Amino acid sequence: MAERDAEIVFKKDTVHKLLSGFFKEEKTKLSGDAALLMAEMLKIFVEEAAVRSQKQAESEDCDEVEIEHFEKILPQLVRMSTFSSCLAPEF
Amino acid sequence: MKMSVDKDETLQRLKAAVHYTVGRLCQKTGEDHRREFSRQVIAAIAETTFRQCDIFAKDLEAFARHAKRSTVTTDDVKLVARRSTALSIYIQNKSEELNQEQKDLKKKNTGKRKSRETEEESRE
Repeated sequence: MAERDAEIVFKKDTVHKLLSGFFKEEKTKLSGDAALLMAEMLKIFVEEAAVRSQKQAESEDCDEVEIEHFEKILPQLVRMSTFSSCLAPEF
Repeated sequence: MKMSVDKDETLQRLKAAVHYTVGRLCQKTGEDHRREFSRQVIAAIAETTFRQCDIFAKDLEAFARHAKRSTVTTDDVKLVARRSTALSIYIQNKSEELNQEQKDLKKKNTGKRKSRETEEESRE
């Protein structure tokens, strides 16, 4: 009998520590619910990156999704996700 | 003050946790579309996701500060998601789901609390 795949998620604790570590001020805290929502958002971010990279590989008739496929779709991904698109991370 | 060694270890562990989940998500996407993701691209997506957290965190902090709060709440997350309409709607729905779960939980606990109070009264 086929098992149902458990949903792949970012752990609340991981997200909490991750985001908290990036806050500029010590007094800034993150609520539990905010951490849960951010876990969702990160998952969507990754899924978008993966699906877009996959489509790029497909459009180039490639069997495997490689780093150059991801690089090509990265600007669009970043523009979609941030307010400051000029802060796009460099490789 | 924490030793920088501890901090590095924590950072490495967090990066590894992100990498692990990214790997699984890429694997699933690969299976759905019958196209495998190379190890390098998974590492690249993981690294980008990690850096994106920095951007998200700074935005969240700025929104909270603007609202004169020191705790980042779901309202701040909704603002960060505002960039994309589809994402905005999705996050809004998730937020409502969370609220509903909490309401249900509160109802349960209120019931327990009442019965506990009656028990204490009878003991006195």
